[in-house]
Amino acid sequence: MEYVIVTFPTDRLVYIDDEKSGSTNEVLRVDAGTHTFSLGPVANYRPASRNVTLEDTTPLEPRVVAFYRKDE
Amino acid sequence: MKRPLAALLLALQLAACASFEPGNPPLAAYAPEAGYRFEPLARSEDADKLFVVVTFSGGGTRAAALAYGVLEALRDTAIQWRGRTAALLDEVDVISSISGGSFAAAYYALRGRGIFEEFPGRFLYRPIQGELLKAALSPASWLKLAAPAYGRSDLAAEFYDREVFAGATYADLIARNRRPFVILNATDMTTGTQFPFIQDQFDLMCSDLAGVPLARAAASSSAFPGALTPLTFRNYAGSCGYRHPAWVRNAAEDHASRVNPRRTARAENRLSLAAEVPADGSPAGGARPARPYVHLTDGGVADNIGLRGPLDALTSVNHPWSLVRMMNDGLIDKLVVIAVNAATDPKMERDQSASVPGLVDTVITAADVPLGNYSFDTVELLARTAGDFYRDARLVEQCNRLSAAKGAQCALNLPSAHKVDFYPVQVAFEYLASGEERAWFKGLPTTFELPRETVDRLRAAGRRLLFEDPQFRKLLNDLKG
Repeated sequence: MEYVIVTFPTDRLVYIDDEKSGSTNEVLRVDAGTHTFSLGPVANYRPASRNVTLEDTTPLEPRVVAFYRKDE
Repeated sequence: MKRPLAALLLALQLAACASFEPGNPPLAAYAPEAGYRFEPLARSEDADKLFVVVTFSGGGTRAAALAYGVLEALRDTAIQWRGRTAALLDEVDVISSISGGSFAAAYYALRGRGIFEEFPGRFLYRPIQGELLKAALSPASWLKLAAPAYGRSDLAAEFYDREVFAGATYADLIARNRRPFVILNATDMTTGTQFPFIQDQFDLMCSDLAGVPLARAAASSSAFPGALTPLTFRNYAGSCGYRHPAWVRNAAEDHASRVNPRRTARAENRLSLAAEVPADGSPAGGARPARPYVHLTDGGVADNIGLRGPLDALTSVNHPWSLVRMMNDGLIDKLVVIAVNAATDPKMERDQSASVPGLVDTVITAADVPLGNYSFDTVELLARTAGDFYRDARLVEQCNRLSAAKGAQCALNLPSAHKVDFYPVQVAFEYLASGEERAWFKGLPTTFELPRETVDRLRAAGRRLLFEDPQFRKLLNDLKG
């Protein structure tokens, strides 16, 4: 199992490979491999999505996938 | 005398020319929210906080009776959960089944608690094997069996449809609209992979599972190689506007990097079943399915425990009923996986003689032994997965505790994934305390015909083994049942 934190300034739904899976700024479990991360509506964030290959993470060192406000 | 014989030969020839009648209708248009799927099945609010998965292994009537005994025990287990008393049976969310276990699973999906009045008489106590043989020997069956696309399992499916499931189809399960989500598993004979009877799988073939009889699914799941023939399904891939989910492309692109070969194999299997090739001689450049027909054999060939699907759900966000996604959403607090395994021991007759084992014995052994070893690994994987969950959760807790012990200025307060209590429960003959009793159960044959008293002993063993499992006892203690 791999571990990820999707960061964003506020609480938002996280979509992994187009399926809702947890919220921002929380540790999420994801299987190893390449996944597409995006956030739920509204589309006021950038980038629109991130493709990330997860491998060799631990619960102590989750991979950080960062999203930002569009206006930042 | 010559005329009746000529008539019979003519009839057999005509039957042999009969066209293939697929048991699975096409899907008019791909509809990801419709059909027999996990998500739409109704459930009460917060019902997923306690999530129960049950798996029923293969093993003919032996497996069906053991599974039935566990269902009886779950019915009789009262738990306190979120301020109310409930039967643990009513908390079961998913059942994944193989071969003989699929009869109990499918019947429960169809009739709910009606199973406890009807199933013993309709299936468990019946000499199903003898009745199937009688049906096969009927002259009317010879005509059908002469057709190349009709085999002994088609005949068995008709028998189950008439005598066990009373003509029910998956449309009846959709109309029933309630958990558990029951997954009957067969094996795709060409790829050797598990073939679950759920709409997500039938989408790949652009076929509507709602029109498939439960009997045909059960017959596919229990098409024991040799004794019963594989069943043929029509693949209409490319005719319904199906689109692969996003993860399939990502996982397939991981092929070279080998970062998660199991996930990549699942993706490539989906791509293969939905693949199209140019239609022969089509001037318009049309396409047809690369595999116009799919042949399904016993689910035990791919996984005789029924656990591989639940293990994928437990370890991948890319699964039709991913438990990881539900855990990430904070929906599950307690996860129970009950594996009901009717596996037996190999016979030792050959070791009573110095004779070189014959060809049949050797071939059967070559097929059986790897399956047995794979089943052992599957059950081990469940325990290992549960161990990984505990270890990862404990690691974060220990770091936080150790850092806090050094003083407030050192406290790390590391975030952790949503905490889930995991109870991997195992019901299997090998856990019977008495060696004599263990040997007796592990010596039972795989057949669809067992004496009534044997069936009753299996039912009682299923109940006892469940209540004696340490993880089940821990669950009941935690639920204050």
